[in-house]
This record gives sequence, C-alpha cells and structure tokens, in this order.
Amino acid sequence: MIVGEQKPLEEIKAMVAPYDNFLILGCGTCVKTCFAGGEEEVATLASALRLAFGKDGKKTKISELTVERQCEGEFIRQAASLATQNQAVLSLACGAGVQMVASRFPKIPVLPGVNTTFIGILEQPGLFTEKCLGCGNCVLDVFSGICPISRCSKKLLNGPCGGSKNGKCEVNPETDCAWQLIIDRYQAFGETEKLYNYVPPKDWRTADAGGPRKLVREDLMV
Amino acid sequence: MVTTRTAEEVSLAKRAFRPKITVFHCFNAADLAFENNGDCELKAVKMPCSSMTREVFLLRAFEAGADAVLVLACPEGACRHVSGNLRAARRVARVKKMLDEIGLGGGRLNIFNVTQGDDTAVEHILKETLAGLEALGTNPVS
Amino acid sequence: MTTRLEQILLSGQFAVTAECGPPRGANAEVIKKKGAALKGYTDAVNVTDNQTAIVRMSSVAACAHLLQMGIEPVMQMVTRDRNRIALQSDIMGAYSLGIRNILCLSGDHQTFGSQPDARNVYDIDSMHLLNTVKKMSDEGTDMSGYKLNVAPEMFIGAAENPFADPFEYRVIRLAKKIAAGARFIQTQCVYDLPRFKEWLKMAEERGLLEKVYILAGVTPMKSTRMAKYMANKVAGMSVPEAVIKRMAGVPEDRAAEEGIKICTETVAELRETKGVAGIHLMAIEWESVVPEIVEKSKLYPRPA
Ligand code: SF4
Ligand code: SF4
Repeated sequence: MIVGEQKPLEEIKAMVAPYDNFLILGCGTCVKTCFAGGEEEVATLASALRLAFGKDGKKTKISELTVERQCEGEFIRQAASLATQNQAVLSLACGAGVQMVASRFPKIPVLPGVNTTFIGILEQPGLFTEKCLGCGNCVLDVFSGICPISRCSKKLLNGPCGGSKNGKCEVNPETDCAWQLIIDRYQAFGETEKLYNYVPPKDWRTADAGGPRKLVREDLMV
Repeated sequence: MVTTRTAEEVSLAKRAFRPKITVFHCFNAADLAFENNGDCELKAVKMPCSSMTREVFLLRAFEAGADAVLVLACPEGACRHVSGNLRAARRVARVKKMLDEIGLGGGRLNIFNVTQGDDTAVEHILKETLAGLEALGTNPVS
Repeated sequence: MTTRLEQILLSGQFAVTAECGPPRGANAEVIKKKGAALKGYTDAVNVTDNQTAIVRMSSVAACAHLLQMGIEPVMQMVTRDRNRIALQSDIMGAYSLGIRNILCLSGDHQTFGSQPDARNVYDIDSMHLLNTVKKMSDEGTDMSGYKLNVAPEMFIGAAENPFADPFEYRVIRLAKKIAAGARFIQTQCVYDLPRFKEWLKMAEERGLLEKVYILAGVTPMKSTRMAKYMANKVAGMSVPEAVIKRMAGVPEDRAAEEGIKICTETVAELRETKGVAGIHLMAIEWESVVPEIVEKSKLYPRPA
C-alpha cells in the first residue's frame, strides 16, 4: 500500500486558516489502512480543527466526506456537490489522490493533509516499513526477494558496503541491512552462488529518472 | 451512599464556574451512580469496553462543552477484551497531545484504572479532576 | 604505462601509501603543506573524495596540486555524489591532468556528513565504477561503448573492509571486485590482526592473492578517546579490547606516543604477513606523523 502520515495539526490549521468553510475529504483505500486519511481520521481531524479554530473565536464550517478511492474519477464524482459548496478541499489522500481531486475541481484550492511517505507494508501493528520504490523494472528475482533499491541506503546492486554490522545498516542501527537479508535468504534456500554474480548498473529510465511515467493499456481504453 | 463533604469540597462548590465533566467508562470498570454530584455537571457515557472510546468521541465531548473528559478503564490485566484498557490508554495519550496542539491543554483529559464498585476511587478521581480544573479554567471553546 | 605505485608493487617491494584529506575551503596551501610533509615517505598519496560526506575541495583538484609538487596521487572517487555521466567525465579530466591511480568507492552515507539534507545519487555502485574504469582503460570506451579518443588508462583500486559483516561474504565481495577490475585493495584500518589474517587466508584459499595487491590500512591512535570512538562509533571497525587497554594504560600526554608504537608494531607484523603487499597509512588530520611511522618501520627511504 501507499503509506502516509497525517501532517501536524498546526501545519494543517495554517493551510486551511484562510477559508471560512472547507471540505475534509478522506480516502478509503491505502491511507485508511495506515490510519492517515480514512473516515475515522477525517472525523477526528474535523473535530480537532473545530476546537482549534473555536478556541481562537473563529467560526469555521467543516464538511466531512470519505470516498472509496481518490485516485479514481468515478469515486470523486460523489464529492462534487460538497466540494463545490466549499471554498477549499483538504484531501487526506496520498499525493496522487490529492492531484486527482485537484484536476477534477479546477476552480477550488485542493490542499494536502497527509505526507505521502512510501510504498510499504504493515510489518506489525503500528509499524509500517518501506519495501518498494516503484522502479518500473522489478529485479526481486536477482536479489532473493529483498529489494536493495528501496531497502539498501545506498541502493547497492553489488553490496553489502563496508558499514554492515551485526545485520544492521550503517546509516541507522534500527534498520536491517538489506544485503544481510539478501544473503540470509539465499543461504536459506541454498542459492549462495548467485552472490558471485556481477549485477550490472540499473537502467533508471523506467524509474523516476525518465520523467513522469505513463502506463497504457489499450485493451482497457474506452 | 451518604457522604459528608469535606472543607475542600465545600470550597470547590463555591468556585466561579460549575465544571462540566464527561466520563467515558467501561461498564465493567465503574458503574457511575453519582450523576448528580453537586460540584459539577457530570455526563457519563457507558462503553462496552474502554477501548471503544474513539479519538473523535473524546474531542467531540470537548466540542460539546466539557471542561474535562475522563476515561475509566479496568485495571491492568483485568480487561475482558484482553488489552482494551491498554489500547485506550495509548489513544488517550494521543488525544492529550492533540489537545496540547489545539491549545486546550492535554491536562483536561485523563484515563484511570478503576475496579468495579470502587466508588471511593471514583470520587477521589473526580475530586482531583476538579482541583486540576481550578488551574485550567473553563473550556475556552464552549 | 605504469604508475610508480604499480611498479613498486610489481617489483615485489613493500609499498607505502598515505591518506590526505583536502581542506574545507579553497586554500591550495593546505593540501600543499600536507603533501610536503608526506613527500619522499610514501609511494603515492590517496586524496579523499568528500570523506565522511563532509564538503571539501574536490579530489581531482587536490590531486592536481600534489602532481605539481611531484607527488603521485591516488584519486579516490565515490559514487554517492555523481551520476555515471559526471563520474566518467571526471575520470577523463583527471587523466588529462596526469592522474593515473584511482580508488573506487561507494562512499559514506551523506546523513553522517556536514549536509545531511542532501540527496544522494548512487546511480551506480563501487563495483560498477570499477568496471567502468576497467572498460575505459582496457577497451578504450565509455560505459555506452563509445570509443574514446584517448583512453584514460588507470591503475585501479578498491577498498575492502575485512571487519564488516557478514564475514564469510567479505571474501566473495573481494572476488567480485577483482573480477570487476580492482588490481589493488586498500583495507579498513587493521587493529584486529587475527581477524585480518583469517580474511587473508580465506582470500588465499580462493586464489585471490595472486590476482590483487593488498595494502593493509593502518591508523595511529592519538588518544584513548579516539580509540574508544573508533571502537564504538565508526561503522565497520574492529578494535580489540587489548588495544584500548594499552592506550588507556599510559598517561594522556604519552597516549600519542603509545599510539605510534602500536601502529609501528602492527606495520612490522603486517610486513611479515603473507599476502600483504604494502600499507596504507590513514593518519586522519595527523598527516605529520606519517614520516615518523615510516622511518620507525624502517621503510625509509622509499625506492626511487
Ligand atoms: S526492484 Fe523496483 S519494482 Fe521491484 S521492489 Fe524494488 S523498487 Fe520495487
Ligand atoms: S549497511 Fe547494508 S543496507 Fe546499509 S548501505 Fe551498506 S549495504 Fe546498504
């Protein structure tokens, strides 16, 4: 999933302060799963903002709505009437959702309430970890299923570096060294000879280096 | 239950405002039979488990004008839902932080562990809360 | 065309290199002063590339200053700050200035440095850089296969840390680096001789010692504080308890002297160790001590 984290209240408050009424728009998919922008978070944030503005003696009307997914136009349509009734939309979706909403409502300011952090997993309750950078050409087969592009601090394709110690990364002793994990996994299924292979430099064109990416599926087009 | 009022309680009764306190309590933890406490306006909300007290409930209680909000949970290790009380405690800590950020003061919200039927403990908690409100004053949003 | 470092190694003489860090500023005099102190005592001088991710004068420029003084530099190059385009371009530029030795590294992560808010590059890793320089030298082409008008022929080196984890894998990685193009290796500082020798033995078993020259890294300790810092704070370092005890066992004003003594003893033992082709002295911000250690180790004068 896309993992995100709600922005600090103070920052959100400053962002929406110029408006007398606005819509907080939640997203029921990824950000809901990571407790950053689902229905529950919309309600909590709305209440917190009402209290914060109320304390300053400012009257603010806050509307609340959560749609299934903000990255699909279909679902955003449901927000149209509420959005147009308000001076601004505070979106609690990931950056993609925020921009999708903005593209649908060209005359209304759409503001981000969430910091989109990474593509990751729920490792254990309350712990989300990054697992993929969306490089556009998955090479997990070469690295025993552990991604060094997103999980090695230096993106080494021929690691580990000299800083790997006791299985931890030199950059942060709390972080596992991706290369230790790669080696451990290859050892576990007896394919350590693969570690001798020289992995050539990556072609970054499929990743973010190639400019904004597009994926076309003609069979699905209407 | 008959109680004699202490001098302190009398002085609290004389305060400038009559605080509103909302109490969320697990029905396994406390059975609030003191709704008509003279020192404050009490609103008790019975929950099946303290862990069901959502963040937004706590905030909305303040929106509704509560000067203080209390969560009464079962003692550690005594939650019927395994660790609902611990989860409630963590949630309260989060909302306390939010209240600090809002500027209402996290001190207006507290969680206590109480055993069912321990009225003395509940009374003591209320007394402490009222004393705390002396310094915090009324909810500035109400 | 061979460099002096290469000639000495080829001839089987025990080589001495030393590290020299460029200044945090544009003052060439600093590098010249450090160079002057090392001149005659080493066969080549490594110039670091924004070491520990602290912004300094570029390695290429500092190497050029040393060259002007008649000192042979080993240009260190990390893949942290430049993409493949910039790296290749700087290799050609360096060669055009007369730089002939290169040490390929991935570099310390920028979060340790003076500008932790920087974005790193890591377009390629140190293994790729080795391969790139080898390709440029041997085939005379850049990474894309484009034929270069003059091929930058370099004596190519890599770093290796026998003390990092996972231990068994360090030798596999050494083999990979040799295959990628490394002809000499400069190691992390050796304090833990038993572990270093174990690593050498594993390398020998794989027949790697015939394919590469190992220059063992040594760093004299200045104080007990430094010993403890190296033991606890520096990633991938192994400092045995006995060494710290020795440092702590002398009064603080004599700690530096003890550090030099330990270092000289280490050098003596390394000289007797099969597979060690030389030493690489990393006297960080203490370059002036290098002549003393070289002399005390009876490695002075250096071969012409
Ligand atoms: S290799 Fe690329 S696509 Fe595959 S997990 Fe890593 S970043 Fe994601
Ligand atoms: S310690 Fe491991 S994860 Fe960290 S940068 Fe080095 S190889 Fe990558």
